[in-house]
Amino acid sequence: MELNYQIPRPALIWTLAAVTLVLLPQSIRMPIWISVVALLCVSWRALIHNGKLDYPSRRVRVVVVLFTLIVSLSQIRNIGIGLDSAASLLALGFVFKLIEMRKKRDIYVVISLCFVMSMVAFLYSQSVLTTLYVVLVITVTMAAMIALNRSSSAANHSGTAKLAMKISVQALPLAIVLFIVFPRIAPLWAVPMQTGVNSTGVTDEMSPGDISQLARSAELAFRVQFEDAVELAHEQLYWRGLVLDQFDGVTWRRTRNSSSYSRAASLANSRISYEDRVRTLGESVNYNVILEPTQQPWLFGLHLAEDINDEFFSGRNFELFNDGRITQRLSYDLRSHLQSQTDFLLLSSSRNRNLELPDDVNARSLEFARELRASVSTDREYVNSVLAHFRMNQYFYTLNAPLLGANRIDEFLFDTMAGFCEHYASSFTYLMRAAGIPARVVVGYQGAEMNPYENYLMVYQYNAHAWSEVWFEGEGWVRFDPTGAVSPTRIELGVQEALRDDPAFMEDDLFSAAIFGGVGWLNTMRLRLDAIEYEWNQLVVNYDEEVQLELFEGLLGEVTKQKVIILVATLALILIVTIGFTVINIERRIQRTPINRFYLRACKELAKVNLVRRRGEGPIAFRDRVCAERPEFAEVLTELTGLYVELTYVEKSVSETQKKAELQALKAVYAKLKTEMPVLAGLRRAG
Amino acid sequence: MLSANVEKITPSQVELVDTKLSQQVQTTVAEVGKALLGKDHQIRLALCCLFSGGHLLIEDLPGMGKTTLSYALAKALGLSYKRIQGTSDLLPADILGISIFNQTTSEFSFHPGPIFSQLVLADEINRTTPKTQSALLEAMEERQVTIEGETRMLPEPFFVIATQNPVTLAGTYPLPESQLDRFLMRLRLGYPDQRAERELLEMNTERDKVEAVNQCLSLEDVIAFRRQSAEVTTSDSLLDYVQRLVAFTRGKDEFHFGLSPRGSLAIMRSAKTWALMCGRNHVVPEDVQAILPSVVEHRLRATSDDEGHSGASLVQRLLNEVDIIE
Repeated sequence: MELNYQIPRPALIWTLAAVTLVLLPQSIRMPIWISVVALLCVSWRALIHNGKLDYPSRRVRVVVVLFTLIVSLSQIRNIGIGLDSAASLLALGFVFKLIEMRKKRDIYVVISLCFVMSMVAFLYSQSVLTTLYVVLVITVTMAAMIALNRSSSAANHSGTAKLAMKISVQALPLAIVLFIVFPRIAPLWAVPMQTGVNSTGVTDEMSPGDISQLARSAELAFRVQFEDAVELAHEQLYWRGLVLDQFDGVTWRRTRNSSSYSRAASLANSRISYEDRVRTLGESVNYNVILEPTQQPWLFGLHLAEDINDEFFSGRNFELFNDGRITQRLSYDLRSHLQSQTDFLLLSSSRNRNLELPDDVNARSLEFARELRASVSTDREYVNSVLAHFRMNQYFYTLNAPLLGANRIDEFLFDTMAGFCEHYASSFTYLMRAAGIPARVVVGYQGAEMNPYENYLMVYQYNAHAWSEVWFEGEGWVRFDPTGAVSPTRIELGVQEALRDDPAFMEDDLFSAAIFGGVGWLNTMRLRLDAIEYEWNQLVVNYDEEVQLELFEGLLGEVTKQKVIILVATLALILIVTIGFTVINIERRIQRTPINRFYLRACKELAKVNLVRRRGEGPIAFRDRVCAERPEFAEVLTELTGLYVELTYVEKSVSETQKKAELQALKAVYAKLKTEMPVLAGLRRAG
Repeated sequence: MLSANVEKITPSQVELVDTKLSQQVQTTVAEVGKALLGKDHQIRLALCCLFSGGHLLIEDLPGMGKTTLSYALAKALGLSYKRIQGTSDLLPADILGISIFNQTTSEFSFHPGPIFSQLVLADEINRTTPKTQSALLEAMEERQVTIEGETRMLPEPFFVIATQNPVTLAGTYPLPESQLDRFLMRLRLGYPDQRAERELLEMNTERDKVEAVNQCLSLEDVIAFRRQSAEVTTSDSLLDYVQRLVAFTRGKDEFHFGLSPRGSLAIMRSAKTWALMCGRNHVVPEDVQAILPSVVEHRLRATSDDEGHSGASLVQRLLNEVDIIE
């Protein structure tokens, strides 16, 4: 017969609160029915406590297990084995454990699971906010543990909460130390991360409407910080992503004749050595980019970005690729030569690719291009006249471009005359190719917002942009931005200014920052928050094995085995000493009265001349011994001892002022002893 | 070895303040000292015990002057005095008294035993059987005896000075801890020093020396001492010190058991009397240290010790390791 253990009410309340808090951030990502099941379980457990419901019967439990099994299998079938399916399976098991939480042991299991589950949040986000939230969850979980172990008479919620907070704060220094020194070990296994998540940002295909879709989003794409406080003008900030050189009449694509993401292919592509293709001119700028996860392998950088740490490989057209999709925030250092020129020599295969046009469409445009090319003498002049065409005619820069039919370029150029950057880049490139000039579309971002608090740039999804590169004999690829011809504001001041009155701009974000950008203090707060987030990413999220090693090298010089051992030993020692002191302080804090302090100080003085008061020796006995051994001290010590005994052992009622006066007298005698000390000590030596 | 400890732990000098009481003590000590040479400190402790209203146990080898001390004390204090010689066939009735049928009056008449006197010397208490021991010890605690249903009060003041041979000797019934606890102090006399022994050898027999002791305190003086010692003050610092001493004996592996609250009360009571005897109206740590060995030794026992003779070294630890200032 097992004892019917009743979980204490405060412990149950705290535990259920912890469970709810743990599941709250995940409920956003998990299917809605899991949240419903969780809510049911939490209320069921609360009702069990109140005696309204009973623990689940064996049959119910079997059903629940089967249910979980089926659900998990179906999830794996639908979205594959990944973080989401694993997280929801864990959450289900976790909430079902609640309803069969009978004994103390069970509640410990649930509390331990709370700690594990709270860590799941970090798999999705490592922002400051998440961290603070997890700290809150851990504190509440700790409170549950405290409530479980407190006697019911001492249990009041605020006391429990205070103790939990105290413990959390005390754990903070240890957490920081462990964060800094704990070895970063590569995981032995990995869960495929967030398979179900759509990629974000600029893609390797551009159809009309793609980028204008991005412009509706105020999500952050990446942050950039320049070295040496370099400041570039807004119109110089072309964050190059991918080069698209295949056009089928609707969509611009990247050529992927051989899988261009692989290292081998990229090596094969650069048959002409890098030095031969590039002529670097002018000063270079160094900068660090922190890219938000895109679920795509490509990276963004300024013109001719060179990866300083040699972590990535570059594509044929000087694009940068990561080895694998970017599923976590990625920080990388780049160097760009803004004035450099590339590809003076164009291989015939490459030239052909960049001249290719779809057949049988856009006849009007082809005609227009040929006529215009015939009217001018050089390719340069042709480019300028095309740009002038955009500038002179009633072209309109808008997010809500009208739908286009089969002859897209024709319709846009001559009929609708309204579009977003992709329309301009696309048609411009088409016109170039139609006139026999190699040209291609480049997608990426243009512009940025400065964060004055930490001096870095913020690039948002609405900064997404497309422009063109045109190849000239002797000059290589040259960047042209037809959007600049239509809407100079877009390039010089940014998309926010250009689309100020366009209701579609950032319409996905109801409370978007940019809409409230006009409100001064809100904007300040937004920038400050972002600055904090930025610092957090720099200092905490990016703290990996390399940074750790660098930090240690900075502190200790070269990291050797001995140094590591010494460091670890020192830290362990500090830890032990701290804990020791804490324990001693908790045990008892010795508070001496001022009288005792002065007496002990006097004893210390005497100890200097080898008159040590033994442990346990009373003041009178000590005085008698000193008088016998060193009569020269008799006078002053008798005075001191008399006063001390009078003050310490004679019980009498005295006023505060009297007490002060007495203490003053003792001080005076102590001072006298101190001044006479050398003389008296000298007496003995002389004698 | 048994008696060598006393000198070592006595504080260097007893500091005396000239008061009427301290002078009285001084003369008494001198008077008793006539009979027991060179044992002033032990005499002083014995007086302290009696002035505190406690019973005294003197433990030493035969022939060390245990009986002499008790005789001399009784004479100097002018108390009525009876002696019980402990043997294994001594019965409780031999101590407490007995009712005898008087044939002339045809009535039982009570013949009080030796317990009905102000000072009882129970010699060799550990040679009597436990039954007799407990009768005596009960009387000590209750200060009254019940014989044949009738409760009789013992005289006031009532002191018992018991002597015992160290229990390691043959034919003894060692007193259990609970009964040892009834004695406020346990004294050891120890061998006399060279000078005192020489003096002793030059003099006549012991009996003559006790004869020479004159009464120097009255019953009223003794009662006055007991009353005044209760008025001696103790400061917080001193109480802290005593508490630390007591706490030191508790919960430690080497102490078989810690001091009981009765033990700490005994310390305070004796220390107050000691302070009064030194002519002070407040207790200083030296007072506590002076009486501590005799008050505490028989209440402590080391874990490793089976026979109860480790108290002295434990008290030495107490004195050496517990500082007067925390």
